[in-house]
Amino acid sequence: MRRFIVFALLVMLTGLLTSGHALAVEDSLSVTEDPAVESSSADLGENSVVVEDSAGELGEVEAASDAIVGEEDFTDEEDFTNGDIETLTVFDPIEPFNRGMFWFNDKLYFYLFKPIARGYRVVPEPARESVSNFFSNLGTPVRFANSLLQLKIGDAGSELGRLIINSTLGIGGLFDPAKAWFDLGRKEEDFGQTLGNYGVGSGFYIVWPLLGPSNTRDSVGMVGDFFLDPLHYIDMKPVERVGLVGLDKETDLSLDKDTYEGIKQDALDPYLFVRNAYEQYRDGKIKK
Amino acid sequence: MKIRKYLMFILMFAIFGWVNPAMAVPSPTAQLRVTLDKIVEVLRNKELSQDAILDQVNVMVRDKFDFEAMSQRTLGIHWRNATPKQRARFIELFSQLLEDTYRIRIRNYTYQNERVEYVGETVQGTRGQVDTIVVANKDIPVSYRVRLKGKEWLVYDVIVEEVSLVNNYRSSYNEIVRKEGFDGLLTRLEEKIRELDAAKKAAKGSAKKQGV
Repeated sequence: MRRFIVFALLVMLTGLLTSGHALAVEDSLSVTEDPAVESSSADLGENSVVVEDSAGELGEVEAASDAIVGEEDFTDEEDFTNGDIETLTVFDPIEPFNRGMFWFNDKLYFYLFKPIARGYRVVPEPARESVSNFFSNLGTPVRFANSLLQLKIGDAGSELGRLIINSTLGIGGLFDPAKAWFDLGRKEEDFGQTLGNYGVGSGFYIVWPLLGPSNTRDSVGMVGDFFLDPLHYIDMKPVERVGLVGLDKETDLSLDKDTYEGIKQDALDPYLFVRNAYEQYRDGKIKK
Repeated sequence: MKIRKYLMFILMFAIFGWVNPAMAVPSPTAQLRVTLDKIVEVLRNKELSQDAILDQVNVMVRDKFDFEAMSQRTLGIHWRNATPKQRARFIELFSQLLEDTYRIRIRNYTYQNERVEYVGETVQGTRGQVDTIVVANKDIPVSYRVRLKGKEWLVYDVIVEEVSLVNNYRSSYNEIVRKEGFDGLLTRLEEKIRELDAAKKAAKGSAKKQGV
């Protein structure tokens, strides 16, 4: 009988201790998350980041887990509205203009560029891949210079290696043996990322006609990269240059799996979707 | 006395350690891999009709995704201000919209030797992240944010090419709630779902006409 009572006591105690343990986990989690949020918001530069977190919320979480002491599933009542998520607010003072440009580009896409890309798809995919590889190889100076500027020496070396391998073994850049055989992947770098890497904020959001979503920083970046394009130094007529850029873009569009159509179809407001995705994408690239 | 209590705690913990969920549960990668492998297997199964594929994938996704947590995080501050009825309605509509979205994706999907590589995992208490790369003609980094619920790691956010799905929805929906109110957002969601339904039916109709 006595043994039974002791055992019962033990079980009760266990219940108490483990629920206490659960609480401790919950607490330490809410506490440890905060610095991470702060540091990530600092990383994002000029984009204002609103972290929705209040001390009062902590009490609520505690109360919630108190209510379900002894239950295994203590995280069920966890508050997911705050904590490690931040709202990325994109500065967009010229929204009416941008929306106009977005509309314009949308029409261009559906009535001009996409039909061309669809027609272009009669060319077998491997051939279009080769065209894409060729232009990508020409983009090496941009990626090499910007890797160097960011002191990413390894990446710069990898880009140089890619240029040599793909220009020779890859027959003038038509193929990508550097990746297939030497595991040297392309390092996406551009001047916008370099600026971001040194703490330049994104400025405000701009949708350019034809060129699409950008911001002040990345627009400056585009100008910088323009002069690193080898085509710039080959003597040719402006029409020919535009034609080559068009071929490059149409090739990528023909290889793309209708990403934009998907966004248009699903998003409540495609403009807001693209705006946020662009900023997140660029921020992510800069942090890499 | 203190030491005894401490010893007691250790003893308890040793015996009833399984109560601590993090110890008993396999890693999020292991769990997610099972589901993703199954989904890929179903997608590749040429003997299944498209409807059967969609239904099977749907069951797996519903099991593995935490639509409530997703809704909470998407709405943020507006979740707290919403009435229970509005919250329930939002979860219903939002999960419906997400489902329609990936249904359309699957419908248009053609298998091209894609494979998933698991490249990393971080776990912090009851939350974690599984990093993968989808290798196709281009490498696409896809990460899954997971939370521990009971013994299951459930997905509450997907990050494709650095773009967090929840963060994206969050910024759009915040803007809509700010301008049109919570009920305005619900109306917009309802409209979108009707629109997608109509597109779905039209697509099915034309497929039947062609005898597919």
